[in-house]
Amino acid sequence: MIGAVKNFLTSSQLASIAQNTTQSVAVETTLKSIGRPGFILIDNDIDSDTKQYAAAKEFLYQATCLAVYMALIVPVFKKGGFKLAKKYIFKDTEGFQHFKDVKEYMHYRKLTDNPSVNNRLKTLEKERLTDKTKIKDKYNETLQAELAKEKPEKFAYVKGAVELSNIIGSVLGLAILAPQVSHAFIHPALRFLGLEQKDKKAQLTSKLNTKA
Amino acid sequence: MAIADLIKKTCKSLGENNKPTYVVMAIAAVKGICRPAFTMMDKTENPETKKYTALREGLTEVIAIPAYWACGEAAGRIAKKAFNSDAALANRAEKNLMFIGVCAAALFVIPALCSVAIKPIMDKMGLKPKEHDKTIPQVETPAALTPAQLTPQATALNTYPKMSTFTARPQIGLRVGGL
Repeated sequence: MIGAVKNFLTSSQLASIAQNTTQSVAVETTLKSIGRPGFILIDNDIDSDTKQYAAAKEFLYQATCLAVYMALIVPVFKKGGFKLAKKYIFKDTEGFQHFKDVKEYMHYRKLTDNPSVNNRLKTLEKERLTDKTKIKDKYNETLQAELAKEKPEKFAYVKGAVELSNIIGSVLGLAILAPQVSHAFIHPALRFLGLEQKDKKAQLTSKLNTKA
Repeated sequence: MAIADLIKKTCKSLGENNKPTYVVMAIAAVKGICRPAFTMMDKTENPETKKYTALREGLTEVIAIPAYWACGEAAGRIAKKAFNSDAALANRAEKNLMFIGVCAAALFVIPALCSVAIKPIMDKMGLKPKEHDKTIPQVETPAALTPAQLTPQATALNTYPKMSTFTARPQIGLRVGGL
């Protein structure tokens, strides 16, 4: 049991999620969509109708945030940030020219995280399923030489540029864009679920006008 | 040039160690400003409701920022102490536990703190929660207006004062007279 907990806490997979902005934000938003409505539902100070309404509203808000984030922010800022950094900010810095896109860098980074040089070289010799070429063919000589070292260069600038772009995207997406989208989406969704009635005030006014 | 250098420095630091607390704290800080601002700009809500909702949203994020930081850092320190024998393992465990700390903050700590702290603060400020749309019709029911519908004929013919005209007089104590 203790061994399993220790393995989990030192897992490289979990470390990769923890160090990746998009994945960690996605996990955190999912947890928020469970935790916040859950706490509203167990609150004894609110009547059951209000609880149901508030919990559904909070869940829909978090779900909209997650959907907007995954659909718009992740692809736009991840790819855009890398291109922007490569073209303008880091155009004279060692590292960016070795990689065509983020995907290629992330694969390289994953290989450098493997502590065993033998395992890394074995992976390089493997064939890709898509075009039957060897994995090492997509890396230039500099990168292949780095991967053969005990402590290969990780090109922290590249990772940092991607993460900075992701942080900016996450902030813009979750704090500015998602509330706007959710504002348009939540009320129709609540009406569809029968938790909110369609503009009762307007209906009442029209009724009273008819009677008068 | 100075901005480019600052970006480079930030990128280097993030590339070496991207703490899970950075992004969640940044999101909470911007949300704490933008969500109340958007609520206050909503022209369809009444001002009291807007004030209540905006303050509640702002307070949630004010609670969230230190909670994320404290949970992340505390979990990271526990990892450092628990795995102090192996530096590489301790480094990885620190990142992982920091992430678990942030997740715990999002799942339990912040909602719990908010449900404990926000209500008393709002009560002290004299702000009451809004009633959602479902309750609005219960306040203004059309049935309440029906007694006012008098037929025009009856009102025109009845020129004598009604008994109900005098019901405003005191109904307790000694009464004098027939009415």
